Amino acid sequence: MPFSFLEVAQVYAMASSKKVITRDEWEKRLDDVKIRKEDMDKLVMNFLVTEGYVEAAEKFRSETGTEPDIDLATITDRMAVKKAVQSGNVEDAIEKVNDLNPEILDTNPQLFFHLQQQRLIELIRNGKVEEALEFAQEELAPRGEENKHFLEELEKTVVLLAFEDATNCPVGELLDMSQRLKTASEVNAAILTSQSHEKDPKLPSLLKMLIWAQNKLDEKAAYPRINNLSTAALEDPLV
Amino acid sequence: MEADDIIGSYYLSLWRIRAKAAALSPFSSENLEFNEEVEEEMPSELDTVNSSGGFSIIGQDKLSVKYPNNHLHGHDVGVVQANKAAPSKRLLFYFEITVKDAGVKGQVAIGFTAPGFKLRRQPGWESNSYGYHGDDGLLYRGQGKGEAFGPTYTTGDTVGCGINYADQQFFFTKNGEIVGSPVPKEVKGPLFPTVSVHSQNEEVTVNFGKDPFVFDLKDFEARIRADIQSKIGDISIPQNTSYGIVRSYLQHYGYEETLASLESATKSSIPPISLIHENSMNDEEEVYALNQRRTLRQLIRSGDIVNAFSKLQNWYPAIVQDEKSAICFLLQCQEFIELVRNGCLYKAVLYARNNFEKFNCPLKFEDLRKDCGALLAYVDPHSSSLGYLLQPQQRELVADAVNAMILATNPNKEDIKACLHSRLEQLLRQLSACFLEKRSLNADQGEAFHLWRILDSGKGGKCKRT
Repeated sequence: MPFSFLEVAQVYAMASSKKVITRDEWEKRLDDVKIRKEDMDKLVMNFLVTEGYVEAAEKFRSETGTEPDIDLATITDRMAVKKAVQSGNVEDAIEKVNDLNPEILDTNPQLFFHLQQQRLIELIRNGKVEEALEFAQEELAPRGEENKHFLEELEKTVVLLAFEDATNCPVGELLDMSQRLKTASEVNAAILTSQSHEKDPKLPSLLKMLIWAQNKLDEKAAYPRINNLSTAALEDPLV
Repeated sequence: MEADDIIGSYYLSLWRIRAKAAALSPFSSENLEFNEEVEEEMPSELDTVNSSGGFSIIGQDKLSVKYPNNHLHGHDVGVVQANKAAPSKRLLFYFEITVKDAGVKGQVAIGFTAPGFKLRRQPGWESNSYGYHGDDGLLYRGQGKGEAFGPTYTTGDTVGCGINYADQQFFFTKNGEIVGSPVPKEVKGPLFPTVSVHSQNEEVTVNFGKDPFVFDLKDFEARIRADIQSKIGDISIPQNTSYGIVRSYLQHYGYEETLASLESATKSSIPPISLIHENSMNDEEEVYALNQRRTLRQLIRSGDIVNAFSKLQNWYPAIVQDEKSAICFLLQCQEFIELVRNGCLYKAVLYARNNFEKFNCPLKFEDLRKDCGALLAYVDPHSSSLGYLLQPQQRELVADAVNAMILATNPNKEDIKACLHSRLEQLLRQLSACFLEKRSLNADQGEAFHLWRILDSGKGGKCKRT
């Protein structure tokens, strides 16, 4: 004798003392939630601005009337720095950051070190062995003396010099694109922080919060969940 | 027509929410819910009326209690509750006692008790009560037998007891440090801060927060919040999910220019953003009639309703075929509003006379039609209680309704509800519903969830809404 989904769900719920909320009931609750359009617009604007889509942010302002929570002009500068690091022009990036606000690097020794380290990596990538050696010893080594962690990083980086073919090198991953991206996102975050703006957009944290809230609610109730964030489709509870 | 019923009545209901908010707080575009929170009453002193059957004496300040006699048996405990139950619509509640004199036996206790607690028994001895006892350091929860918990406490010690509503747990402190492990709070109803004395000359003072606590409650609260934040932060979501949701939002509402700009920016971005095209079907659905939707939105947003209406009639005659439909009502009301905005009052009157009569379905339109018509009564309608009709959000609402109606004409659409809500909105609704349900399963205890609070956070501590 087959049982209906609801019957099975109820039996399951009784056994685990979980409250069962049917799809109809849950949809009523969803309908009772009113999300303001302005709030969604703000979220989207915050995403565009934080991720640095300056032109899209401008268009969005004119299409929706939503004001960005940061001066759009500063995004262009920030993105220029980011792009410079991403394409390996670290010296240029450092100069641009200092033009923006010299305090950013002054107050952030770790970021400054990582930028210098990236600069060293780029020199090695370009086969400038002598220049790289000189730069490592004169610019980076003194910083390593101040900080044990920096010294380790420096030692790790110069190992690259010992291998002609980086694919055989144990620290070859430093030459990967991902290392540039890592450094670029660190600078990006520091600039945002210096502009008293959050370094991450709010949307991803809300999505994480949704997963967290669903997991928490799972302990006490069976209800339709959203498992695929991209489609936002409601799925009936698993029993 | 099904679409007009569902979509039309949805946008009429959104209009009513705006109308209601405006009636309650005119001159403000803020939503109602922000004023919903009522300050809960805090315990401030000991309850002198209802206390302990005369076994203890409460000081003049109502913040100290003393046991003057020799106790005879277990039913003459000097128990005092606070004058108010612990407030519960928050993350934490906490209070402290300081033992001034441990008396002969040091049988002091601190804890929480339900209303109607037998006020001659130690907290924790009876059901629906919890107590941490000074003479043995044991924890009592609802029965006469205690369990090993924390250190004993005596003269000179400050002991605290609190509730963490997020986790539904009690916590206890001694001299500023947490003792024992968190204790599950099984009682859902109100709980009163409670203190008791039970041997000669025992005396304690209570602090409900008037004086600084010995325990660093602020730091404790910050750590709890940071802990929740880090748990949320540790959750990983597929790369580019946010990007996909933003893109789909722009498609849904027809923000074509932003969309084009975003797409061309991501083409050149490093690393290139690749969406997993598992939902390419949905994508097609969302770019449906994108350009026409954008055009109509721009016209409505600029107040050119006449032009918008004739374009709509051209492109989608079926949508405006029924002249008594909600969508026609919304558009014609907006045209009337635009005439009033431009000071063309005579034209507005004529327009209303020609067009409003047909919307004679009382339940569906009457109140909103009245709101519109009443604009004529004001010399300066902007500053009237109907000023909300002249705000850009009203145009936006009409534009959104037209947008949804067009989406509904897509022969490949799966569900008419998907025309009403973007994926972003569906996700945010689910988020709010989960928090609401979670809280309601905790008897509405703990902090309420407000999206705007998150949206307003991180702006250097400035909070624009009060």
